[in-house]
Amino acid sequence: MSVVLPVPVIQALQVVTIIGAAPGVSGLISRVEARLQGRRGPRVLQPYHDLAKLFRKEALAPQGASWVFLAAPAGAFACYLTVPLLIPVLTSYPLPLGYLGDILGGGFILSLASFLVAIAALESGSPYAQLGASRAKTFGAITEPVVLFVVFTVALLTGTDLPYALAATVRASAGQIMRPAHLLAAAALLMVILYETGRIPVETHAAASELGMIEEARPFEHSGPYLALLRWGAAAKQLILYTIFVNVFAAPWGLASSQRAPAVALAAAALLGKAALLGCLVAVIDSSFAKLRLFKITEFAAAAFLLAVLGVLTLYLGGG
Amino acid sequence: MSAGHAPGVYAGGADVIAVLILLAEFGMLRQALARDQVRLYAAQSGLISALAVIVGAVRGLPELYLLAGLSAALKIMVIPLVLRRLLRAGRVGADLAGPDGDIARSGGMSLASTVLVATAVAAAGFFAASHFTVGGAAAPPAALSLSVSVVLVAFILMIHRRDVLSQAIGLFSLENAISLAALVIAASLPLVLEAALLFDLLVAVIVFGLLIRIHHGRAESLSTTDLTSLRG
Repeated sequence: MSVVLPVPVIQALQVVTIIGAAPGVSGLISRVEARLQGRRGPRVLQPYHDLAKLFRKEALAPQGASWVFLAAPAGAFACYLTVPLLIPVLTSYPLPLGYLGDILGGGFILSLASFLVAIAALESGSPYAQLGASRAKTFGAITEPVVLFVVFTVALLTGTDLPYALAATVRASAGQIMRPAHLLAAAALLMVILYETGRIPVETHAAASELGMIEEARPFEHSGPYLALLRWGAAAKQLILYTIFVNVFAAPWGLASSQRAPAVALAAAALLGKAALLGCLVAVIDSSFAKLRLFKITEFAAAAFLLAVLGVLTLYLGGG
Repeated sequence: MSAGHAPGVYAGGADVIAVLILLAEFGMLRQALARDQVRLYAAQSGLISALAVIVGAVRGLPELYLLAGLSAALKIMVIPLVLRRLLRAGRVGADLAGPDGDIARSGGMSLASTVLVATAVAAAGFFAASHFTVGGAAAPPAALSLSVSVVLVAFILMIHRRDVLSQAIGLFSLENAISLAALVIAASLPLVLEAALLFDLLVAVIVFGLLIRIHHGRAESLSTTDLTSLRG
């Protein structure tokens, strides 16, 4: 007889899995990327050591910055703690808090987090941080319609916009996976994820060139535990987006269908395996494309938009 | 319009190939180099041939294999070869900057707005085709609408680009779109008719080849904007 976990514990485990594994996934991606480029690269666990070091360091704030500057990292991190409650991380059946919000609700919470980081960047008074915040919001405005069209596709496919419902629909039959609308929406979402996590066609991840920076420029003025929270939050956001892509769109298999402890543990392992695979794919994309010029990012967004719109069109008008 | 109901794996797969054909058309619209545009056309033709093989296998129509072979030979090998030789022979495209033929700036609009206009036009194609009631239960539901959209986007390619090569490729890919429509609605169309369509294309290639040579010989340019200087 295996142990049956109570529902609140599973719900909490979803958050713990995401938050705990997020730096590891980031570490894995930079490791794979380094190997692809012929470097040895940092250890997979390096991000954890970085976070531990930053948490021990002293925190400084620019002169004139108000409490918002210091509160924003914690607020953003709280947002990233909330989203894993809403999406299918470990279970194929909806957990009670899963109905707290739909895909749009999760999207709103993620945008709230990025809004808070942008406010903190403005508060810092540093030109680079402000530039990054302003760029992030500008390009965010053109990737938002893509997300909306992806949500429309989901809504047309399932009749709801709950992530659990789409995962169940995709699992239902092979015909669902072959539907062009589903593939197009997934591809568009992947492009948005590349943008949101600051990956190559859009932005060089963890690079030193300020001119091309978008997301990376925002925490320039934060230090110590605050910087650690921002870094950890960025890694958590990345894993949350990967989880949405993998567990809702691309491969919603391997999720626990019962409350038994082994099934849940297996689901956690499966999620990390799938996220690691997606991370390897992202690393390959990172190494095989050049960074787009800043003014070409609209073209990248236009391509993602095209995919999402075609998804809705084939589904709604074409019947595919 | 039954969005919740998934079509079968065959219909879905055929739809996916049709979507890829449409995306290839959009790719041609975005493409900056003449060489890559020819390559994309070959890829699109390859998709058509693959679809012909799949339709032939599923519907049990062996003559489609012959058609797939014929169209692959013609559209993946002969036509791209001819186009590439044309590009090389008269250093055609050299006037458009770069030995590979940089045709990016031959468009009348910026890239992002072209894509948006083409998206709107493709949507119009979907609207138009959603009122057709052809095709049986087994037919891929979206492929016909997609083929109409490919035709319209090919029009946009021909209207928007002012270099002869893009216009030729636009016309050739138009034929691909018509083949797509024919394959999904009337797969058992007699082989002779489809072969005739292919030879029609061959005539178009010869005419366009001549046109490109003559135009380049006279105007020393591939851009059709120079044609205005020929007015009396």
